[in-house]
Parts: sequence; structure tokens; C-alpha cells
Amino acid sequence: MADSVGFLGGRIPTEVEIMSKHLKDLDKELFRKILKVVVNAIEGKDCGGAMADIAQNSPLSEEMLSHIVSGMYELLKEALRLPTSSLKQEVFKEDLRGLRISEEFIADFASVVFGNRSTLDNVVKQQGPRIPSLEEFRWRVDVAISTSSLARALQPSILMQLKLSDGNVHRFEVPVSKFQEIRYNVALILKEMNDLEKRSILKIQD
Amino acid sequence: LANLIYLHSIREAVTYINAVDSSKFSRLLSRILQKLHLKGERSFSEDEEQKLQTALALEKQALHLVLETTSFLLEQAVYHNVKLPSLKQQLENIHVSPDKAEAFCQAWASAGPDMVEKIRQRIFAPKKLEHIGWQFNLQMARSSQAKLKAPHAVLDLGVQDEDKLECQQNIFVEFSHQELLEFYNKVRAD
Repeated sequence: MADSVGFLGGRIPTEVEIMSKHLKDLDKELFRKILKVVVNAIEGKDCGGAMADIAQNSPLSEEMLSHIVSGMYELLKEALRLPTSSLKQEVFKEDLRGLRISEEFIADFASVVFGNRSTLDNVVKQQGPRIPSLEEFRWRVDVAISTSSLARALQPSILMQLKLSDGNVHRFEVPVSKFQEIRYNVALILKEMNDLEKRSILKIQD
Repeated sequence: LANLIYLHSIREAVTYINAVDSSKFSRLLSRILQKLHLKGERSFSEDEEQKLQTALALEKQALHLVLETTSFLLEQAVYHNVKLPSLKQQLENIHVSPDKAEAFCQAWASAGPDMVEKIRQRIFAPKKLEHIGWQFNLQMARSSQAKLKAPHAVLDLGVQDEDKLECQQNIFVEFSHQELLEFYNKVRAD
């Protein structure tokens, strides 16, 4: 009996419990196929074809297959929520042993969660409420020599174009003084970020 | 301005200008000069024009001519960034009476250079950055990620349409530490 709460939380999600029962009699190759499809789904890749393939060619009933898939998905999602610094591989494996999942399958799950996680992490970072971030940033400096209102203007101006992650493109002019203000403010935020990262609150490991 | 003397409308306008009461004309000049940089906006409203007609004893057509010509003369002054002696000379060349020429010069002396500067600052781009705000947060978690402690900044860029037709539009952009650093490097190389 574990003293601490496992990574799956105080109450094991039903999907995971049901899945663990079905995994007992599951063929290893089939397990790996299904696991691969679920990982692709989390990464956002198209897996409809592969899933249909498995559904047709396996001896599993549709109901069983859907239980297994949803259980795997839930398990992996919960594990991926935690940063690798906080969830240790041994603890993860112990928790899965508690569900009476076989060692081989535990090893496969562990290789997903503790293996190369960069794609998975990127996908997970994109989810959740977001304000658009900067995708592309371009600028140019113009000097207006003359205009219809002024024969000799000689006024420098900066034109900025921001392409955001939500697809919007914003183009606007920035007076030189405002440009300096942008630089000053960005440097100020960076300084605050650096100061904060040095402080002990961030060094607390949980 | 020298070529203007040959334009009939200018000559006619100058006649009217010269006939107008001097102090009223000075006020007229200040007002027109103040609004010169506003594109497409009339210097006077319908009501005000009615009042002017009475005050200056001018018919509607004549008033319009005076207003347009005065505006034109001031726009030319701005365009060439004219100096006072030159302005006086040019006005005399088109037969503007001395007292009216003096009124022009006084108005120009007090408000002219500022007007030139304002027009110089005017731009052609659709929008202009007016306001910069920001927020610096420490993101603790998301629905998809727990135990984050990620420094996170949001920039608020307030842009305004040049003609002030729409209200200020706020552009919000979020940055992680790394993204902000990249952005900073891009705005440094200037």
C-alpha cells in the first residue's frame, strides 16, 4: 500500500482501471500497435486510418478496444502533465504495478513517458487558454524626404509587422520614441524574469 | 506663390480678405492654422460658417473663397516651411494689404513652426503605435501541465488609426522567457 498518492491521483480514473483489466489477456504486438496509435493521437497526428486498421484486423471487440484506448490515453495524459523532474520513473512504474499491469507493458509505457518527450511536450504546451504569440516579426526604417504637405520632411519612422500565432497580421508605424519605449520595457521584463528565476521560490523541487 | 497673382480666384479672394475686419481676420487665421493638420476636416461647422457670413459681411460664396484661399496660403507656407520675411514678401506680391499681411505673419510666427512639426510627424501607415503596456506573470499550471513555474509575459500594444476613426485597438502578444529574449535581440539590432 502506497503512503503517497500515485501520479494518477487519489482516485484512479475508471478508464484506467477498466483498461488494466483488459490488458491482462492482450497480445504484446497488438498492445504496442495500439499504444503507438494513442501516442500519435496525443501528438496531434492523424491516426484514423491506423485505428480502423486495428479495429478490423484484431480479435478484440469494439467495446474492448475502446476501453483500452481510452485507458491508455488517460494514463498517458496524466503522466505527461507532470514535469520529468517531479515524476520519477520508479514511482511511475510502482504506480502501474499497483494496477497489476504486466512488467512488459509497464516498460513500454515508461519508454513513452520518459523517452523522447520533446514532441509530446510541445503539443501539451500549445494546449490550454492562450494569447497569441509572435510568429514572425519584421521591421523597416523609412525616412520621409518630402510629402504632399511638406517639401522637406526628413522624418524617420519605423514600420513594424507582427505575424501572430492566431494568423492575424498587424502592421503599424512606430514613432522613434515609442520604439525606444518598447526596447526599454522588454529589457525591463527580461531583467525581472532573470531576478525571479534566481530567487529560491523557483528552486523548490516538487 | 508668385504665379498665383494671375489666378482670378486668388485676386478675388484677396480683395475680400483685404476688406474684412482685421481683428476678426486674425482670429480666423489662428483657427484655420490650428486645424490645418487634420485631413478632411472642415475648419468651421455649418453653424459657424453662418455666423461668419454675418460677422464678416460676406456672402456664402465669398466666405468659402476666403476660407479656401486662406487655407491654401497657409498650406503653402507649411509646405515650404517659409520664413517670416519671405512670407511677408510673398503676400505683398499678391497684393494682400499690409495689415492683413501683418496678421498672417503674426499667426505664422506663433503657431507656424509647431504646425510644421505636427505635419512632419504625420504618417501614411494605416495605424500607429500609441501605447505600450505589459504584464509579467509566473505561470504555475495549465489544464494540460502541472507544476510549471514558467515566467510568462504579455505585451499590450495599443494602436490607433491615424485619422482617429476607430478607437484604439489592443494587440496582445504572449512570450515565454526564450521568446522574449529572441524578440529583444530583434529590436536591438537597430
